[in-house]
Amino acid sequence: MSPLLEVNNLQKHFPVRGGLLNRIVSDFRAVDDVSFALREGKTLGLVGESGSGKTTIGKCILRLLEPTAGQILYDGADITHLKQRDLRRLRGEIQMIYQAPAASLNGRMTVGGIIGEPLWIHEGLKGDVARERVLELMNVVGLKEEHYYRYPHEFSGGQQQRIGIARALAVQPRLIVLDEPTSALDVSVQAQILNLLQDLQDQFDLTYLFISHDLGVVRYMCDEVALLYLGKIVEVAETEVIFEAPKHPYTQALISAIPEPDPDMQREEIILRGELSSSPLMHRGGGCPFAPRCHAEKLATCETVLPSLVEVERQHQVACHLHPPISIAEVH
Amino acid sequence: MADLLNIDNLHLEFHTYDGVVKVLAGVDLKMQRGDVLGLVGETGCGKSMTALSVPRLIPMPPGKITAGRVTFNGEDILSKTESEMEAFRARHVGMIFQDPVTNLNPLFTIREQLVDAVLYQRAQGQKVPGRWRGFLPSVRQMRKDAHDRAVELMRLTGIPDGDKRIYDYPHQFSGGMRQRVLIAMALAGDPDLLIADEPTTALDVTIQAQILRLIRSLVKQLGLTVLLITHNLGVVARSCERVAVMYSGRVIEESPVRELFKNPKHPYTRGLIAAVPQKDISRGGLEGIPGMIPNLIDPPAGCRFHPRCPQVMDICRSAVPPAVSVGADHSAACFLYPEDA
Ligand SMILES: Nc1ncnc2c1ncn2[C@@H]1O[C@H](COP(=O)(O)OP(=O)(O)OP(=O)(O)O)[C@@H](O)[C@H]1O
Ligand SMILES: Nc1ncnc2c1ncn2[C@@H]1O[C@H](COP(=O)(O)OP(=O)(O)OP(=O)(O)O)[C@@H](O)[C@H]1O
Ligand code: SF4
Ligand SMILES: [Mg+2]
Ligand SMILES: [Mg+2]
Repeated sequence: MSPLLEVNNLQKHFPVRGGLLNRIVSDFRAVDDVSFALREGKTLGLVGESGSGKTTIGKCILRLLEPTAGQILYDGADITHLKQRDLRRLRGEIQMIYQAPAASLNGRMTVGGIIGEPLWIHEGLKGDVARERVLELMNVVGLKEEHYYRYPHEFSGGQQQRIGIARALAVQPRLIVLDEPTSALDVSVQAQILNLLQDLQDQFDLTYLFISHDLGVVRYMCDEVALLYLGKIVEVAETEVIFEAPKHPYTQALISAIPEPDPDMQREEIILRGELSSSPLMHRGGGCPFAPRCHAEKLATCETVLPSLVEVERQHQVACHLHPPISIAEVH
Repeated sequence: MADLLNIDNLHLEFHTYDGVVKVLAGVDLKMQRGDVLGLVGETGCGKSMTALSVPRLIPMPPGKITAGRVTFNGEDILSKTESEMEAFRARHVGMIFQDPVTNLNPLFTIREQLVDAVLYQRAQGQKVPGRWRGFLPSVRQMRKDAHDRAVELMRLTGIPDGDKRIYDYPHQFSGGMRQRVLIAMALAGDPDLLIADEPTTALDVTIQAQILRLIRSLVKQLGLTVLLITHNLGVVARSCERVAVMYSGRVIEESPVRELFKNPKHPYTRGLIAAVPQKDISRGGLEGIPGMIPNLIDPPAGCRFHPRCPQVMDICRSAVPPAVSVGADHSAACFLYPEDA
């Protein structure tokens, strides 16, 4: 089956300004040669620390940002360079849900208005027909009918996120980019929203790109996980493989650092040196971007040659010199 | 052993236009010297207010303590004068605030802020590390000593090249390094108690691991007593020895960490643990707690958890459950458990 979404060699550069005249002095590669595929009805987790490029990838897919290079295929069609009027149809099919529920809802509109707006924009629905659909959507996400004329600020964070989800569902999307949908919520409310998202996925056969830095949540929600480091994917595999047998030293460190709520879980904790922001952001010199923080037995090539993302086992890709591609490994 | 900290039946209200917000409704919390206690609970349950009651930093008005006592080392905190309080804060309590605005000032170098913290602590009290005791130095000498102490604090908190980086501004530090500076500032007065309010919440998981390790090592090296506030049960499991769970203005369960996770008693604690996505929970297997946290202006009568409790009984709707012993060194405030026999 061909994937619903395919991202090939995506790049997004932002200009870096500097100097006295505030001229563009270089490019910052927020997303650097990212490729992945997402099958219909599945959930792919996009994990990485702050600034690793997760949101930028999401926005490029929705074409809220123009990719610098690369290709985005949706349902087999190249959408990388769609014109403005074709984008509208696309935005019916692909929706995005954001982290801060309050900030992503228009505070001057009622709940009914917020959820109904996309119906009007995309399908021209108004009046009682629209109202019926909105009430149906509110019911689906667990809001009550009497909430229709209320304003977002009257709701808790979890309820606001339900409003955001209902709005995203209004146009019957097939793909939803969820950008940290629960990271502003308390754990008991987060559980409600995660369960709601799973139910909706089953009910409407939705495909999710699930952006998060919470590995526990990712483990619960995703079929596959891609790990980002400084704008590059360093490892992709099925969720279970990522959590049980991670290969990239960065993934290993992240998994070991998950604070599990189980005091008996004794795991060797890998504490990384430094921080994302302390490593040089632009690797003009080549070498592995993770090398300055890497805790593995490094090879000479780590400092000089950029490792590419290769298949090291079936369905398991890693970008690390310690892990040669499957074919070479077999020759040895 | 005498308690280092004893918060007893603390009630706190805020008077607002909308009404009286009943924020703390009988908080009980004790800490012994050397304890590393985690205070957990969801947004708005009163963790920060409980912590701020110790250095008495709750704005009053609008805040008002209507009942209860806070004792530190046997001294009654609530009856101290403001100048006594200043000396108390400088000498006994180091605080890392949740609100980043009250933390580092972007306009001053780390040196200015850290040296200030050391000097303030010295001005307020005699309790300075041994080598400064017993002589009255010149102002210049004092500043120099404070500078040395600041560099030492940076080394202690794992900031490399402290002697050079002390001249940097906060924005030149990464998030993790800024957090280390804040810990250094909190330690400036060589406090008995370190209160860390969500010290890792804004940090990435690899940096969080670094900071938690730092706190653990400070506990070992300095024999610190730590009150660690967090909403992350995993952080508690990793870093604390004891844990107190708050719900809507009260501590509803308290026990050693392992006991709490293995043998939670309060229905809220059980719900909270079941709501964390853990290993081996399969799709659809996560349980949330139905409903929402209560409104504090018009909170539910009786047990404030009763509208959400799967095991609610009649008595829960009218009476407030007292904390009772439910095991060795383990207490819970819930009517499911009979009063201490
Ligand atoms: N419009 C922009 N102009 C310049 N730089 C940008 C812009 N948007 C993002 N960046 C930079 O690109 C990098 C990736 O940002 P992005 O928001 O995608 O990260 P993220 O992985 O979503 O992080 P977070 O977890 O903090 O949300 C960051 O270093 C960010 O500062
Ligand atoms: N100045 C104030 N006026 C009115 N209510 C206040 C005021 N300050 C705090 N509160 C309320 O007191 C309650 C407890 O606040 P507190 O900051 O202690 O919660 P918390 O447990 O630390 O939450 P969080 O996890 O979000 O930090 C909250 O419901 C808050 O809205
Ligand atoms: S190449 Fe080296 S630095 Fe990069 S991931 Fe592999 S081992 Fe680590
Ligand atoms: Mg983001
Ligand atoms: Mg707080």
